[in-house]
Amino acid sequence: MVSASDSRPIPAGVLEAAGDGGFSPIKVLGIGIPLVYSLTFFAAPLVFLVVLGFWLVEDFQVVPAFSLENYLDIAQHMFAKSNYALAIAQSLWVSLSTAFFAVLLCYPMVLAIVYVAPRSRHRLLLMLAVAPFWSSYVLRLFSWQILLANKGIINSALAWAGFENLQINLIYTQTATRIGLIHYLAPILIVVLYVTVANIDRELIQAARDLGATRWQAFRRVILPMSRAGLLVSASFAAIVSFGDVLAGSLLGGGVGNSVLGSVPLFSTMIMTEYASSTNLPRTSALAMILVLVMVLMLAGGAALAERGKVDAG
Amino acid sequence: MVVGYFFLVLPIATMIVFSFQKGQFASVPGQGWTFHWYVKLFEDGTLLEALRNSLIVSPLAATGACVLGFLAAYSIHRFRFWGRGAFSVLLILPVLIPPLILGVAFLGLLSRIGLQGQLLSVILTHMVIVTAPAMAVIQLRLGQMPSSLEEAAWDLGATSFQSLYKIVLPFALPGIAGGWLLAFTFSFDEFIVAWFVSGFEQTLPVAVYAYIVGSVDPSLNAVGSIVFALSMLSLIGVELLLFPILLSQYGSSEE
Repeated sequence: MVSASDSRPIPAGVLEAAGDGGFSPIKVLGIGIPLVYSLTFFAAPLVFLVVLGFWLVEDFQVVPAFSLENYLDIAQHMFAKSNYALAIAQSLWVSLSTAFFAVLLCYPMVLAIVYVAPRSRHRLLLMLAVAPFWSSYVLRLFSWQILLANKGIINSALAWAGFENLQINLIYTQTATRIGLIHYLAPILIVVLYVTVANIDRELIQAARDLGATRWQAFRRVILPMSRAGLLVSASFAAIVSFGDVLAGSLLGGGVGNSVLGSVPLFSTMIMTEYASSTNLPRTSALAMILVLVMVLMLAGGAALAERGKVDAG
Repeated sequence: MVVGYFFLVLPIATMIVFSFQKGQFASVPGQGWTFHWYVKLFEDGTLLEALRNSLIVSPLAATGACVLGFLAAYSIHRFRFWGRGAFSVLLILPVLIPPLILGVAFLGLLSRIGLQGQLLSVILTHMVIVTAPAMAVIQLRLGQMPSSLEEAAWDLGATSFQSLYKIVLPFALPGIAGGWLLAFTFSFDEFIVAWFVSGFEQTLPVAVYAYIVGSVDPSLNAVGSIVFALSMLSLIGVELLLFPILLSQYGSSEE
């Protein structure tokens, strides 16, 4: 992480004029201002978050302390009452499956944009795909709410078209949560995957085809391995965002959305609602630390899996 | 692909269509057209005030982020210094940490120093989050600047301040503008951090959330349509500013 890691050659003139070893005012300000800001308003709150988890609330006042009470209390409720363990499991299940389906939707779309659509259309198609991103996330969720509601637009349209028996009951289930999340994630994933796929050298594909590979083989052996990095990045990004998101779970999942695991809230939603009802910041901080911990474990697990996959493939 | 695009566009189309529909509970077939919800929106005022708050917070946060982002991007581009890698990681990191965590953390610190529950708190915290995207775009643009440009200025006797002001800044301007729009969009749409730190000075997403939890009101569709129309304007701005920068980066390797 130190400057030794990157050693791009520097033109001699730059060194001279900047007086690189010295301290030009521009250099001091250019590094200093962002650094100070970031340390005060970013690093300090995060450090304080860790500390705050050990503080207590007495008479509605936050008091400095070094107490494990918050963590012990949370540990006691892991499998009882609040059932944090179930909420964490629900969060893991929803975020991982959301990541899977989000990639499953976006990757074919990107392949179609890159390999089927004429190049002159790429820009327009990308613009269209990214367009939802520029509208408000909360409002899009509201829109999904009225689309998916039991007497909502989709169901009433189905009934109107004569499919009275074909009614969906998605609202306030974790499936609806996933729909909202995927809709939020799709534009970002499409851009990431587009950059990956568009950078694959077309001559490699052509070479594979010339050597007698079918279209499917060219995809399996050339395009898919070369999109690997992009797929991994977008899937883990999707999983992290879904894991930390509170809006889709509370607006479309209805707080305690149903899934295979039963009607259990997401851990992130739980943190938010707990804070809203108790405003106990130290306890919320402790819960947030647990969320960080689970997320780090999830990422480490993902990285380990990816590493093993690489060894297998190689 | 068609299914994918249909999925992407569906909620937005819904929002626009039903902001002009009479029934309070949206259903098909429609119940006739009306401007009622727009009128109600302007009469009610809660959401409009939140919109006004957002229009104060987001431009200021975006501007602050661009100042920080430009300073950082330029320093990373121009200077070698100890901890350069760590410096850029530190500035990028806020986008990788879930906003829920940041929200709790920000509130924790700000409430200790009595800075919570104001628009200023939202501005300060949003600046942390949106500096990264602004910086990334500015970095891309600076990366396209031939180093000979600045060297020529020095050879002709410009001080480093002069070359920064007269050469680098104008060159980076499209990047700064693109970064500003991106930062603005992120801030304008940010929910959970604002929810934690804003208190009663709600920004638009926070107010909308409170509204949705409380009731079903097609006024929200009207807000949504207005916001979407605004974003389309910024999208055109992005199309003009951001895409040329991004595409010239990747375009070359495609040919």
